[in-house]
Amino acid sequence: MTGEAIVVDNVSRVFGGLKAVDGASLKLARGETVAIVGPNGAGKSTLIQLISGVERADSGTIHVDEVRTDHLPPDRIARLGVGRSFQTSRVFPALTVWDSVLVGVQAGLIETRSGRLIDPVTESAGALLGLPFWQRRVAAQEAAAEAALKLFGDRLWPRRDQPALGLSYANRRRLEIARLLAAEPRYLLLDEPSAGMNPTETEELTHLILDLRRTHPDMGILVIEHKLSMVRRIADRVVVLNQGRVLIEDRPDHALDHPEVVEAYLGRARSGANFQDAHHG
Amino acid sequence: MELFLSQILNGLAIGQVYALIALGFSLVFGVANIINFAQGALFMLGAFIAYSAIAWFGLPLVPAAAVSVVIVAILGLLLERIALRPLIGAPYVAPFLSTLAISTIIDQSAEIVWSPESQPFPASISSTTFFIGNAYITVTDLVIFGFGAAATVALTLFVSFTWTGRALRATAQDASAAAQLGIRTDVMRQIAFGLAGALGALSGILVALYFQSVFPQMGIPFGLKGFAAALLGGLASIPGAVVGGLLLGIGETLASAYVGDSYRDAIAFTLLLLMLLVRPNGLLGGGRLDALGGAAAAAGAMPTTSLLASSSSQQSALRAYYLPPWGFLAVGAAFTLVPLVVSSTYVLQALIYGFIFALLSASTSLVSGSVGILSIGQAAFFGVGAYAVGVFARPYGLPADATLVIAIGLTALVAVGAAIPLLKLTGHTAALGTLAIGQIGFLVFLNWVSVTRGPMGILNIPHPVLELLGGLRFATTEQKYWLVLGFVAVALVIAERYVSSPIGRVWRAIREDRLAALAAGLPVRRYILLAFAVSGALAGLAGGLFAYVQQVVSPESFTVETSILVLTMAVLGGLGNLTGAALAGFALAILPEFLRGFAEWRMIVYGLLLLVALRVRPQGLLGAR
Repeated sequence: MTGEAIVVDNVSRVFGGLKAVDGASLKLARGETVAIVGPNGAGKSTLIQLISGVERADSGTIHVDEVRTDHLPPDRIARLGVGRSFQTSRVFPALTVWDSVLVGVQAGLIETRSGRLIDPVTESAGALLGLPFWQRRVAAQEAAAEAALKLFGDRLWPRRDQPALGLSYANRRRLEIARLLAAEPRYLLLDEPSAGMNPTETEELTHLILDLRRTHPDMGILVIEHKLSMVRRIADRVVVLNQGRVLIEDRPDHALDHPEVVEAYLGRARSGANFQDAHHG
Repeated sequence: MELFLSQILNGLAIGQVYALIALGFSLVFGVANIINFAQGALFMLGAFIAYSAIAWFGLPLVPAAAVSVVIVAILGLLLERIALRPLIGAPYVAPFLSTLAISTIIDQSAEIVWSPESQPFPASISSTTFFIGNAYITVTDLVIFGFGAAATVALTLFVSFTWTGRALRATAQDASAAAQLGIRTDVMRQIAFGLAGALGALSGILVALYFQSVFPQMGIPFGLKGFAAALLGGLASIPGAVVGGLLLGIGETLASAYVGDSYRDAIAFTLLLLMLLVRPNGLLGGGRLDALGGAAAAAGAMPTTSLLASSSSQQSALRAYYLPPWGFLAVGAAFTLVPLVVSSTYVLQALIYGFIFALLSASTSLVSGSVGILSIGQAAFFGVGAYAVGVFARPYGLPADATLVIAIGLTALVAVGAAIPLLKLTGHTAALGTLAIGQIGFLVFLNWVSVTRGPMGILNIPHPVLELLGGLRFATTEQKYWLVLGFVAVALVIAERYVSSPIGRVWRAIREDRLAALAAGLPVRRYILLAFAVSGALAGLAGGLFAYVQQVVSPESFTVETSILVLTMAVLGGLGNLTGAALAGFALAILPEFLRGFAEWRMIVYGLLLLVALRVRPQGLLGAR
């Protein structure tokens, strides 16, 4: 029994001759925040690709809340409550901010409580005729979307009628996270959410994640992050990946100051705790 | 067995020709990362220029062929210069539509210069036949095979061993890296287009020799077969193109021998769709389709297929003007008054076609714009609707309410079935898939004689009767005007409701970023199929109404020209904008009715219009949505 958690067990993925992920195991329970760190090419992003079903594992198993997911398509895994962001944020460029977030809640709109999808004919009838049962569902989803946008203060809400392609880099990242949160996921997988953000914006993001931990105590959060000062503040546990393998898994202070980790990151051991942000990208 | 062997030998000859066309696609795709829709037009021009050099100027075959190859190679260069270079950095659909426009202009000009009829090719190679045991092969086959093979070997040597060839391959591998190393990638693009033109011309001449005839419409079917061959072999691979061409040639020859010659083309296109379904990366192919946003969307490398977002896009490009759903009813209500003022049946008839094409154009805009799968096969769906009425109205004596429901339902089903091979595809590849669907549809209308009565068509379709309105009969032009107007207005209201609903929002999200839509938990395939069902239903209704208005249904109404026409309408109106599509469809359909002598020039003018619009207003008249 694995309980309510994402459980990655001995998973491997080979690209050509390169073992991107090599027998990695990992557990993300609901309510905890786990950070994955490691040098470039360590297999961090591939791990998220595998969990979200965008890539298929060559071997090993992945379970989400005891449902085996390593053979499921990405949309099914997402509907199990796994929301993920992308390394280069993927917004829908021509859609407005508001429409983008509504796309995020659409899966919830067409899913019944039993997890089945409403058939296209009923969906069409609901959408075209504006039937009361449908309007109630739409109103609930729109409320969730509005709440998600307002989490970012005045960064997104006042821009809700602008197309996403006109947003700044940081706002695109925020929009992507807002879209994920609107769907009220059980697990949130963030692939370098602070990449391209300046120190102020990174600080804001750190606070957002800390707030999320407080407001969504049941949500499991997995973050790939190079900014180790941020990792120290948000994570319960840190998983260090190197060359596709889990090098170490421990509390942030233990994991990040471990000599092997410092060596994997910086190439050679260094004395002292001057091992701070590996990348300021 | 001997027959079988002869078919194989025969297939190798024509397959070698397909390989040459395929190489034209592969070169351009490799270097410029676009699928050159006009490759077929260059092929056709090659055949016709050689024809003219022989028939008009009395040149012998070899110099005529050389002249043709040189001229078409130069045209290939011009094509790159005029139609594609200005669109670098434009949204992905722009260069494809641009080559589509060029192709239309060339094809239609050829019909004016050389007449639309098929002409005997004035040169031939000895018809001596060799026997190998009981299997036979003609000298023509040998010469064609020899020439094709020699050209392939020469190209392979050029690409493998010359400096320019290496630079070409480097550009194909990674254009920006090649540019950093000092390779002039713009020159490489031109060389690729010039070579593609030369290969196109050569293959056109060989086909003319093989079939002993040339006709202006030969470009699209052979172009599509060349594309099928290129895809079979992996699109960006030179050996792949050759293997694909030979396989296609053999498969097609065997099929025409054992299944029936009239299905020769249909088999090639079905094979294309099957390949797209099963192995979109080709038999020998690498992952290059991903770079185009083609196969295996899940690879994560898929770029956005946004119609609007591009390196040069402006926010102003996103401003779109469109009617709310009830607006179509209001416009429709205003149009009901026209017959009270205008008594000319000619004018009313023109307006009726305007309404039908407004609906057809909107149906095209829905898949091409909202979902982002350019449809160059809409005429097939239009035809299914028309034939449904043709088949059920007279022999079964069904009223119009029943036949139109059948037309709508059947076309929606056909559209869903046709969409299945396209589900994994985006971009140019999906567009060529729809072209194959359109061609298959046309060939079925033409050859399934027991149902469609073949080229003759179905005549004497009765006047529509609506049983639900107490057997109301629509016999006069005024009455049909009101009938068509009513159906079109209501259908457009429904279509606009779809596009404005959350479903339409999901369609646009799928167009913008399919992977992100999947990651948001959306059942992407289901939504694409729904879009095709709705689009098919609209096109089927348009077809059914068209059958009642024409009172005749025959295959020539449902050619690829019709598909290109309605796609042009949808693009000019603003892709994904149903108001724009309806307006452009209406306007471009009635225009030729009021301009005498315009009909012949119509497609050329519309092609030029499309070409200009892509440069100055790619978002269309009312703005893309």
